[in-house]
Amino acid sequence: MERENRFWRVILLALPLAVFAAFVIWPLADSFHYSFTNWNGFNPDFDYVGFDNFLKIHSDKLFLNAAINTALWIVAAIVVPTGLGLGLALLIDSRIPGGSVFKSIFYLPICLSAVVVGQIWVWIYQPDWGLLNTVVEAVSGESFNYAWLAKPDSALWSVILAWSWQQTGLSMVIFLAGLTTIPEELLEVCEIEGARALQRIRLVVIPLLTPATVVVIALNVINSLKGFDILYTMTGGGPFNSSDTLAMHMYNESFKKYLMGYGSAISVVLFLIALTIVRLYFRQLRKVDELHG
Amino acid sequence: MADAACLPAPARRFNPWPAVIFIALAVLALLFLAPTAGVLLSSIKTTRDIALGQLWTIPSELFWGNYAEVLGNPAVHRYFLNTALVTAPATVASIALGSLAGYVFAKLPFRGSNLLFLVIVSGMFFPPQVILIPLFRLFNAMDLIDTLYPIIVIHTAMGIPICTLLMRNFFATVPNALREAAILEGANEWQVLTRVALPLSLPALAVLATLQFTWIWNDFLWPLIFTQSDEKRTIMLGIVNLQGQYSVAWGVQGSLSLIASLPTLVVFLFFQRYFIKGMTMGAVKG
Repeated sequence: MERENRFWRVILLALPLAVFAAFVIWPLADSFHYSFTNWNGFNPDFDYVGFDNFLKIHSDKLFLNAAINTALWIVAAIVVPTGLGLGLALLIDSRIPGGSVFKSIFYLPICLSAVVVGQIWVWIYQPDWGLLNTVVEAVSGESFNYAWLAKPDSALWSVILAWSWQQTGLSMVIFLAGLTTIPEELLEVCEIEGARALQRIRLVVIPLLTPATVVVIALNVINSLKGFDILYTMTGGGPFNSSDTLAMHMYNESFKKYLMGYGSAISVVLFLIALTIVRLYFRQLRKVDELHG
Repeated sequence: MADAACLPAPARRFNPWPAVIFIALAVLALLFLAPTAGVLLSSIKTTRDIALGQLWTIPSELFWGNYAEVLGNPAVHRYFLNTALVTAPATVASIALGSLAGYVFAKLPFRGSNLLFLVIVSGMFFPPQVILIPLFRLFNAMDLIDTLYPIIVIHTAMGIPICTLLMRNFFATVPNALREAAILEGANEWQVLTRVALPLSLPALAVLATLQFTWIWNDFLWPLIFTQSDEKRTIMLGIVNLQGQYSVAWGVQGSLSLIASLPTLVVFLFFQRYFIKGMTMGAVKG
C-alpha cells in the first residue's frame, strides 16, 4: 500500500513540481547569481564583479529615492485601503437594503486591469477636463489647471490613490468574510447590556476581526510591492523619478539601461523585503490562530 | 420573541441610522463608480466634446464612432486573438497542475509535505520582478522572445501556488471514505482523482477558472518583457501602444479600454460569487 502511495505521489507531483522549480524556484536562485555579475542583456557572456552591484545600491541616489517611495506606498497600503475597506464592510454589514449591490460596486474595480485603471485615473487627474479639476473649479468658481501627474509633489500620491481605489474592494470582502464569523448573540448581548453602536464596534467587533485585519494588511503590503503596471501606465515613475518605486527602478535599470547585473541586485533586495513581510505575516497568522483557535 | 410579536406594537422610536448609513453608502458608491463611468461616457462622445470639458456630463446623443474605429482596427483583433491564445491554455494548465499537486497534499501527505506545500504557496507573495532577469535570459537563449510561449509557460508556473492552495483545501473536504471505497473497488489514485475528487470539486474549479482567467487576461508585465513586435502584443499592451496612435482621441481610448475589459467584466458579473469566494479563500486560508 505504502509503496503504491509513493508511486502515485511521484507520478502526480512530478509535473507541477518540475514546472514550478524550473520557472519560479530556479530563476529566483539565478537572480542571486546574476546580482554578482555585470551581464548586459545582449552578450551571452559576463564577468563576475563580486559585491560591486550591492555597493552601487549604496551610492545610487535613485535607489534611495525609489526605496523611500516604496516605503511611503507600503505605509499608505497599510492605512488607506485597510481603513476604507473596514469602513465599507461595517456599513454594508449593518443589513442595509441593497447591501449586495453596494458590495458589487465597491468590488468591481478588482476585475479591471491595472492598465485600464491607470487610464481611468489619468483622466481624473487630466489638468484641463479631468474630473478632479472640474470638481475643484465647480466648488471654488475659479479656473484650476493643476497637472497632478506631471508635478513631482503630487505624482506618487496620485498613483497611490488610484491604486487604493482598486485595492479597497478586496480589503472589504475579506473584512465581510471576517464579520460573518462574529456570533450574532454576542452583539445582541452587548446591545442589551447597553453598549452603543460605536462602542460595540470599537470594543468587540474590531478586536474579533484581528485575523481578517492581519490578512488584509499583509495582502495590501504585498500588492503594493507588486504595484508596477499601474505606475507604468500612469507616470512611468516620473516626472524626474519622483514616483519611482523599487519595482520600477529595477525595470528601468534592467530593461532600459540593460544593466541586468545591477537590476538583479535590486530584485534580490526586493525579494528580501517581500520575504520579511511574508515571514511576519505567517508568524502573525500563527499567533492569531493560537488566540482565536 | 413570539410573545413580543403578539403584543400591540409599541410606538417605536424613530431610528435614523439605517437611512444615514444608506445615504452614506450611496454617496460612496457614486464616488466609486465615477472613474468607471468616465470611461463609459468617454466612449460615446466625440473627441471635440471631451476636449471642451464635456466628459463628465450625460450626453444628449450617443456617438458610436469610437466603437466603430476600435472594432474596425485589425491590430485590435490581433491583440484579442493573442490574449485569448495566452489566457486559455495558461488557465487550463495552471488549474490542471494545481489539481495534481493539491490532491497529493490533501490525500497522500508524506514527511515534509507540509513544508513543500508552504514553499509552493509562498510563491504567491513575491513580486514577479524577482524572477524576471533569469527568465528573460532563459527564453532569449531558447530563441523564444517575441513569441507567446514564454507568457503561457510563466502564467502556468506562477498560477501553481494559488491553484495548489485552493485545490488542496477543497480536496481536504472530500471524505476519505469515498477514496478508500473506490480503492477497495480496485480504482487507482488517478481514477480516484479524475472520477471522484474532481467531479466533486466543480465549485473550486469554477473559482480558479474565474481568478486565473481574469489575472492572465489583465496581465501587463510579462507580455511587456517577452514581446516586441506589434504582431505578438496582447490587449493590455495594445492599449498602451495605441495611446500613441490615438494620442488625443480620448473617446477611442475609452471604448478600447471598455472592449478590452469586457471579457473580465462578463466573467465578474456572472461568476462574482466564485470570484469573491476565491479571493477570500486564497487570502484567509493562506
